[in-house]
Amino acid sequence: MVYSKKSPALFIIGVVMLAIWFLADAGLLAGYIEHLGGKKYKYGKELASLPLYFGILSVFVGALHWFGPQKEGEWDYYSSAVPGAMFILLIAMLVRWFIAPEVAVVSKSMGEVGNTGKHIHTILGLNYVVIGIVTGIIIVNFFKVPEWAKNGVRVSRLGLKTGVILLGTLYSAAELKNLGGLSIFMIGFFVLGSVGMTLWLGARRNIPNSMGGVLSAGMGVCGVSATVASAPVVQAKSVEIAYTIGTILLWGVGCMFIFPMVGQLLDMSHLKFGAWAGTGILNSAQVAGAALAYQPNGIETLKVAEIFNITRVLVLPIIVMWLAVWYVKREQTGTKVSVGKVIFEKFPVFVLGFLLLFGLSTTGMFAPANHYKGKYFDNNIKTEKLLSDEDIAELKGNADKVQREDQKAALARLLDGRKVSSIDDDDTLRGLANSKVMGKKSGKILKKAHKAVRHTSKKIKAFRDWITWLFAFGLVGLGMQITVSSMKQAGGQPAVIGGIVGLTKAVLSLVVVLLIVKDTI
Amino acid sequence: MSENNFDRGSALSIFGSDRKEDFMALAFALIIAFGVYFTY
Repeated sequence: MVYSKKSPALFIIGVVMLAIWFLADAGLLAGYIEHLGGKKYKYGKELASLPLYFGILSVFVGALHWFGPQKEGEWDYYSSAVPGAMFILLIAMLVRWFIAPEVAVVSKSMGEVGNTGKHIHTILGLNYVVIGIVTGIIIVNFFKVPEWAKNGVRVSRLGLKTGVILLGTLYSAAELKNLGGLSIFMIGFFVLGSVGMTLWLGARRNIPNSMGGVLSAGMGVCGVSATVASAPVVQAKSVEIAYTIGTILLWGVGCMFIFPMVGQLLDMSHLKFGAWAGTGILNSAQVAGAALAYQPNGIETLKVAEIFNITRVLVLPIIVMWLAVWYVKREQTGTKVSVGKVIFEKFPVFVLGFLLLFGLSTTGMFAPANHYKGKYFDNNIKTEKLLSDEDIAELKGNADKVQREDQKAALARLLDGRKVSSIDDDDTLRGLANSKVMGKKSGKILKKAHKAVRHTSKKIKAFRDWITWLFAFGLVGLGMQITVSSMKQAGGQPAVIGGIVGLTKAVLSLVVVLLIVKDTI
Repeated sequence: MSENNFDRGSALSIFGSDRKEDFMALAFALIIAFGVYFTY
């Protein structure tokens, strides 16, 4: 059987990509890019290269398919996926470079939401993830996936798996030593509890094992990455993955507003609230939003919430293993299942890949071993990065406005050394800058001092870009596999189960936090 | 998209088995990792 189609589609996609590259390169998009953020627009380099490379590839393979001979074989089968893959990639490009930034512009024009310090698109998670899935759903339901693109849609999961493996580079085991016993206990207990409860409820309410499995990982661990990583293990369908992501994001939106209100009512300390938000809310951006809403003038709450958030990611491989065994046991009812055999035969190799890159990242191969998501502290900085005499004079002039002793001491050390002296001082001074007590100009100087000692690894930044692209590609393709009929089939059960588990976790973690967490570290 | 639309692979993958897809993903990821390592 010949799989490739004699169609001009891929050739045309290539021409469109080259046209985007040409318009960007010739400066004809400058006005629009100015509207999307001007200097803050981050995708200039990508626009100057990616559409050119993939445009040439598409034109070349497209011409071969269109005019070349068609012969059965491996080349024909695998190259038949290229038109669909490039179609998805073109949509992912449009989403990342134009649609998502446009949504952000509109959202920012509406101002921040309450005192969360966040705009509506951040709170609703309207980034390339959600927009990519929605775009895919719109295409498949309104226009149908063209025949020539169908094989390519089936490589989207390959993109997601590659992205999950590369996620390992963003974390380092060195971060483990910063995690306290409290966060490990809380997260361990509540992650495993949520996964178990979701699986139990799923069985009681007769939802498919694949739906229960993927929802449990999403509700237990955190958001998109966990959902994507666990989906192949439980053979989850595209619609089930999308439902899980939707449930998590919607749940998180509610939590972002309710958690700070409850925290204020109970007069919780920063530590208590950070521990609660980091345990009870699933999505990282929403955790940060709730923490900032609770403490807009400092970062103590945010810091605690972030530590809890990191702990959760590290539990992911355990959950994937659990789900692998659970799924096989559930699917093979009546036959005795050997756990060792299941792990050997069914354990997804791509999760081992995640662990492998996590291990390499821990050795400091890609960034100093103490990095987190590529960011690390290093105050061995060049002389020109030190604070100037003018900066010092400005800070000294406002130093008497600082009330807190720890902030006074950190500021004194900054004035003395002209640079931030330690990672703890960096956190304290960030809190001081956020509190705005020293005025706007001093705040800017504090932020400058912070930026001078906080570095971003170029390698990790490159990995982040790859991961973003692979996820964008995979999720647009995933959206293209979701039809309205499949959504009707899945019904409203996932949202109900997600709501019950989420509420239980929020209430129980609140009780545990109130009972066992002290007010100060 | 139903399963039987494809006589090779499945509705979710062009590869014959999940493990083959996993190994392909691993190969791609390692190529990217080494590419990034030597480029930056």
